[in-house]
Amino acid sequence: MAAPDIVRIEGVSKRFVLLRDKSVKERLLNVSASRANREEFWALRDIDLNISAGTTVGLVGHNGSGKSTLLKLVGGIMQPTSGSVSRRGRLAALLELGAGFHPDLTGRENVYLNAALLGLSRKETRASFDQIVDFSGVETFIDTAVKFYSSGMYVRLAFAVAVHVDPDLLLVDEVLAVGDEAFQEKCLEKIREFQREGRTIVLVSHAAKQVEDLCDRVAVLHHGALIFDGGAAEGIQVLRSQTDDTV
Amino acid sequence: MTRSLPDRSGDRAARISALPMEMTSARIPFFASGLPTVREIWRRRELVGLLVRRELRARYKGSSLGIVWSLIKPLVQLLVYYLAIGQILGAARSIPSFAIFVFIGLTTWTLATEIITSGTRSIVDNAGLVKKVTLPREIFPLAAVGSALVNLGIQFIVLLAAMIAIGQFPLSWGALWLFPSLLLIVTFSSAIGLLLSAVNVYLRDIQHLVEVVLIVAFWTSPIVYAYSFVSTLQLGWLLQVYLLNPITLGVLGMQRALWVAGAGVPGAFPPHLGQRILIAFVISAVLLWVSHRIFQKLQGNFAQEL
Repeated sequence: MAAPDIVRIEGVSKRFVLLRDKSVKERLLNVSASRANREEFWALRDIDLNISAGTTVGLVGHNGSGKSTLLKLVGGIMQPTSGSVSRRGRLAALLELGAGFHPDLTGRENVYLNAALLGLSRKETRASFDQIVDFSGVETFIDTAVKFYSSGMYVRLAFAVAVHVDPDLLLVDEVLAVGDEAFQEKCLEKIREFQREGRTIVLVSHAAKQVEDLCDRVAVLHHGALIFDGGAAEGIQVLRSQTDDTV
Repeated sequence: MTRSLPDRSGDRAARISALPMEMTSARIPFFASGLPTVREIWRRRELVGLLVRRELRARYKGSSLGIVWSLIKPLVQLLVYYLAIGQILGAARSIPSFAIFVFIGLTTWTLATEIITSGTRSIVDNAGLVKKVTLPREIFPLAAVGSALVNLGIQFIVLLAAMIAIGQFPLSWGALWLFPSLLLIVTFSSAIGLLLSAVNVYLRDIQHLVEVVLIVAFWTSPIVYAYSFVSTLQLGWLLQVYLLNPITLGVLGMQRALWVAGAGVPGAFPPHLGQRILIAFVISAVLLWVSHRIFQKLQGNFAQEL
C-alpha cells in the first residue's frame, strides 16, 4: 500500500503587506499617502508539495527564503493568500520551544500547560509526566519557577513536553540545536525513534549535515519559490550551489 | 532509511489514510454557524481551565496577600462610594442597606469590565502563543471570561458573608433573578470582548479607548445611585435609551435578586424588567455570534500582524 498523503500544499502563495506606520492619526490623515507606505512582499509563490505519511522532509534555503512561513502555513498559524493547505492527523508544532511557558509558574505547572497547548488532555499528560521529566533531566527543579531555570534547562523541558504529545505530524523549526551535546544526541535519537514509528516530520534547518542525515526528502526554497524537491543528498547539493550563485 | 517497526508504522499509515483531509486555510463563509469552533473549544476546555489558572496564579505570584488583593480593590471602592456618595452626598438616606446595594452593583460592574478589558487585551497579550501554537484563538478571550468569573466568585463570598451578618439573606424565589442577569452580563461582555480582542490586533488604540469609555459607562448604570433617582427625572424617551444598556439591565436584575431591602422601595425597578432582560439577552446572543464571525474573518492575519 502506498503511504497516504498527510499534507497537501496546492498552489500556495503568501503575500505580506508591510506598513510603515501604524497610528490612527497617520492612517486617517494620510489615506492617500498610506497607499505609498504599503510595501508588498511575496514570501512564497506557487508552492506545490505533497508529503506522504511516514516521511521526513527537510525544508532548506537561505534566510528569508520562506521556509518558516511555509511551516506556519502547514501548522495553520497563518493563512495563505492564495492556494490551499490541507492536512490530517494529530499535529505538534515546535516553532518555538517553550512558547507557552510562563516564567512565574513552576516546571510542573508549565508542563501541564504546555502539553494542553499542544493538545494533550490532563490524563494523558499525567500518564507521561514522569517520562517527560526524565527526558528533560530537570527532576530536581521541577517545582521551581521556570524563571530561575538556565536557558538550557528551559528548552530541554520544553522539548521534552513536545516530543511526548504523540503527534502524527511534527513540525520542527530550528529547535534541534538546543542543550549540550548529550541532549542533542538524545533529541536526534528521539527523532529517529519517531521515524521508525512512522511519524511524519517536517524540519526546517540550516544544519545541512543534520538534514542530510535525517531526511528522506529535501525541498529547497529560494526567494519564495520551490526550486528543488527530491533526495536529501542532491537537495543539499542544490542548496550549496545556490550559495555559490548568490555570494 | 530502515524501518525496524513496520507494523506500528503501518498501523499509523492505515489510520491516517482513513482520516479526512482538513483544510487549514478554508475560507469560511461569513454566515456560518461557528459550531465547529465551538466543538473544538469544548474539546480543549481543559486548556481554558489551565489558562485561567495561569492568569490567576501569575497575577498574584510573589505577593504575600495573593488572591486577597482581588478583594481589596472592590472593598476600597465600596468604602469610598459608601462614604462619599452614601454619607456625604446623602444617597444612603433614600437607599436602604446602601452598602449592600453598592457592593452588588460593583461586583456586577467589575465582572462586565473585567471581561471586556482583559478580553480586549487577550490576543495581544498572548502574542507569543498566537504566533507559535496552533489552537482556536477564541480560547484567549474565553480564558479572560473565566478568570473574571473566578474573581466574581470570590467577591460573592464576601457579599454573602455580609448579607448573613446583617440578616438580609435573599431567601426567596426572587434570588433566581441572579441567573438570567449574570447570563446577560456574561453574554454581552463576551461579545464585546471577543470583537475588540480581534480589532485590537490591528488597532492597538482600542485597548486604551475601551478603558476611557468604561469610565463614562460606569455612571450610566445604577451602581452608586438607585434606579428610582433616574426614573423620577422625567427623562421621557431618554429613560428608554438608558434602559437599553444590557449592563444596566444586568445590574438591575442582580439588585432584584440580592438587594433584600430594595423589595419594599416603590419604583426601585423599571416595569417589565424580565422581558427587557430577555430581549437584551437575545440581542446579546446575536451580537456574540456576529462578533465571532468577525473574529474568524480577522484572525487569519493575526500571526503576521502581531
